[in-house]
Amino acid sequence: MESSTLPAQQTTRIEVDGRPLDAELGLSVAAALLRAGMRTLRQSPSGLPRGAFCMMGVCQECLVEIDGIKRQACLVAVEPGMRIMTEPVP
Amino acid sequence: MSRFDAVVVGGGIMGCTTALWLARGGMCTALIERDAVARSASGVNAGTLTLHMTRAALIPYALKGWQLWATARDWLGHDVGVVAAPGLCLAFTKAEAALLEERSAVRREQGAPIKIIAPDRARKIEPGLSGALKLAAHSPIDGHVPAYLTGLAYKKALVEAGCTILEQQPVTALDRLSAGFRIHTGETIVDTKRLVLAGGVWLEPLLALLNVLLPVKTLINQLVVLERLPPVIQSVVTIASGLLSLKQFTNGTVLIGGGWQGKGDRESGETAIIPENLIGNVQLAAHAVPALKRGRILRSWLGFEAETADAMPIIGSVPGMADIFVIGSVHSGYTSAPYMGRLLADHILGLDPAMPLFPMERLLTGHAEGVVA
Amino acid sequence: MTRRAELAVIGAGPAGAYAAMAATAAGVDCIVIDEAKAAGGQVYRAPAVRRSKTKPEVVEGDRLRSALQTSGASLAFGRRVWLVEPGFIIHAIGRDGPETIEADRLILATGTTERVIPFPGWTTPGVIGLAAATILLKAEATLPGKRTLVAGRGPLLAAVAAGILEHGGEVAAVLDHSPRMHWLIALPKLASRLDLLRRGLGWWATLKRAGVPIRHGDGIAEVTGVDDGLLIKTRSGRAVTCDAVAVGHGLTPSTEITRLLGARHRYAAELGGWVPALDAFGRTSVDGLMVCGDGAGVRGAAAAALAGELAGLAAARELGHLDQARFDARASSMETALARASRFGGAMAAMTAPCADDIKAFGAETIICRCEDVTRGQIDAAIDAGASTIDQLKAWTRAGMGPCQGRLCGEAVAAILADHAGGREQVGLWTGRAPIRPVPVADLVGDVAYEDIAIPKAAPL
Repeated sequence: MESSTLPAQQTTRIEVDGRPLDAELGLSVAAALLRAGMRTLRQSPSGLPRGAFCMMGVCQECLVEIDGIKRQACLVAVEPGMRIMTEPVP
Repeated sequence: MSRFDAVVVGGGIMGCTTALWLARGGMCTALIERDAVARSASGVNAGTLTLHMTRAALIPYALKGWQLWATARDWLGHDVGVVAAPGLCLAFTKAEAALLEERSAVRREQGAPIKIIAPDRARKIEPGLSGALKLAAHSPIDGHVPAYLTGLAYKKALVEAGCTILEQQPVTALDRLSAGFRIHTGETIVDTKRLVLAGGVWLEPLLALLNVLLPVKTLINQLVVLERLPPVIQSVVTIASGLLSLKQFTNGTVLIGGGWQGKGDRESGETAIIPENLIGNVQLAAHAVPALKRGRILRSWLGFEAETADAMPIIGSVPGMADIFVIGSVHSGYTSAPYMGRLLADHILGLDPAMPLFPMERLLTGHAEGVVA
Repeated sequence: MTRRAELAVIGAGPAGAYAAMAATAAGVDCIVIDEAKAAGGQVYRAPAVRRSKTKPEVVEGDRLRSALQTSGASLAFGRRVWLVEPGFIIHAIGRDGPETIEADRLILATGTTERVIPFPGWTTPGVIGLAAATILLKAEATLPGKRTLVAGRGPLLAAVAAGILEHGGEVAAVLDHSPRMHWLIALPKLASRLDLLRRGLGWWATLKRAGVPIRHGDGIAEVTGVDDGLLIKTRSGRAVTCDAVAVGHGLTPSTEITRLLGARHRYAAELGGWVPALDAFGRTSVDGLMVCGDGAGVRGAAAAALAGELAGLAAARELGHLDQARFDARASSMETALARASRFGGAMAAMTAPCADDIKAFGAETIICRCEDVTRGQIDAAIDAGASTIDQLKAWTRAGMGPCQGRLCGEAVAAILADHAGGREQVGLWTGRAPIRPVPVADLVGDVAYEDIAIPKAAPL
């Protein structure tokens, strides 16, 4: 899927699922992943794909592993060198 | 007005099992519960089916109870989601190792198949355990049940056995009739020939309605659940002092308990966690299984546990009062609960209970005059 | 770390910020706590990235942030509150680990959660909330997708759709569940804020000019994920293709902390659902505990700021920093403005109040609880099996047991049960429990040595 972004400003290199990604500094991780066309971030208990939904820390659907700890992507801002792991969906 | 052969007051696992066998034994039975079936201590406890935390004298009962949980589908008629797993009891210091050896020996004498094993052996069984482990005790008989689901299975079984269930009806008064009892709930009045009190921490106020004074202490146990994690442990993990119970359910959630205390009040039913105790309990769990640090705490809750002065059960007849029976205060009693209920039902049905009951005479502090059958 | 203050305010949106500023100006030692790194709440959320155009919300938000910054109130931002104990002890987790804040009085300004009525396929990635779309557009300068369907109820519909166009995106259609009549009924009340009404009408005009199909009285029947996007079936039988959906049905007050503290609540559909029972100044049934802003009942940002100021003044008076005469003078001077703002916000909130039919419309396979994948059919089966209370229903189905702690499905589950139990009041609320939001274990336990864990004495053998 093509990214649906507005012109980015200051970017920084982060790692997503082992691949490098240039993301705008200060943007939420959830928005950065959405801009990169990554909508599916994890799977539900029965294996259904899920992605960011509320963007305000309530729904917990955007849970990803950030530097080894499960965190909500919508509440964490992009920082240089950040390592993000999404959950593979079968 | 309804009239029953037997009414059980208190719909926890012990009350439900007693009612179930009374109904199956041919008695017209009713169950009266202040909240919903298996929603108090029986619905919110850790669901641990362990021998490592069972009081030594109760091991023979717990072994029987474990068998009943494991075969619930056969005798209850409904699956309760029991998972049989080995139990590992841990020691992280010299003092804990000594305690573990001593306590395991006593439990072994009572029939628990517990063996002391070296740390590397324990980590082979459970690779997620901390490298700081000093000693472990292993029992092949252990496991867990999702306590919050047992009420559904029991409710179905009770209905099938023809038992009447009255929920959301706290008992407000008990009258002695010439033959039997009249029970008032505020909503209904029920007459019965026999009365079984299975009210958990509310046994004390229930007995007080009959002028029987028996102190029952209320423990307020905190529990913590972590959200679904990839598999981190398969066994039930406990600690020598009994202050940790840890297990991962098949859905991936991790339950942390061990009897760390919260705040609460039996009369109002209100409870609140003590944050230092929640943090301590989780620190202990994360020390035992470091991978838990990758997870998130999802929720905590609290449950009342009844304890008598000697922390031993009261199961049997009320002295000097015909046709009144009590059952409760079985320390860490979830494992043995279905067996205890069966024993009391047998006693009431005039059958010979397979193991001794727990008479309450030893604990009575007061007994009003004239309240004799 | 432990801090002390006379007054703590949780939430730094307009309500919390104005409460803190009013109290601080009166001489109260006040601390403001928020999960975000800057004040503003959702409505005036600080932009994560700045773009050249400055929106009214950004201008107002910047003004609010700078006023709060220089107000003299202590600011504790970037803190997730996970427990509040009576009295009050606030437990939070920040970047530097656990913190406690002790305060004699507590004002809650925790705002709302967006209500999204479930429909088949609402869990598909690419489907987001209307409020989420607002955040993406305003704070993150990010489009939800290339071509977005906007659906639901209330004023956010036009705001989001117009925002998408403005950011260069495409709007597939706007489906407004409310019939056009609802807008006409609300019009007189909306006229109480001509500026806001004009802005709203401007958005609709923009959409018309751009040729965006607008359908009143229609909604989403089903969303299906297809190869490179989403296929939407509408209730009226139309098919729409797009790659994103923004959908929402109004806001519902966040009552986690008032429930945890045992305050009395009441059900008021026109205010967004369950709200704490309050007096005119925002005092709850719990001594020293106040609530203001949309968390007390949805009334919008303008009313929230005024209610916050009033609550801050009331706290200052109770703490002895403001005499009765001065308090009365200030409070009465605000009455008219608060009433006017509430009229506008209330009309907007009323338009989004859920209809019973919304819940009934969806079949047995519709997922109600997203966290645990619990379907409508499973909830109906548990009710048939005898689940009579909302807590029992939760235990038997796991609906509400997952990480969002019932915030997304609570409304729908309660509505289904209410149908059987005879009303929302009978069904009640899920018990409030700590942690208020999930807390990473690592953040809470830190690096403690085993001998420093305060293990109680051993259980009896």
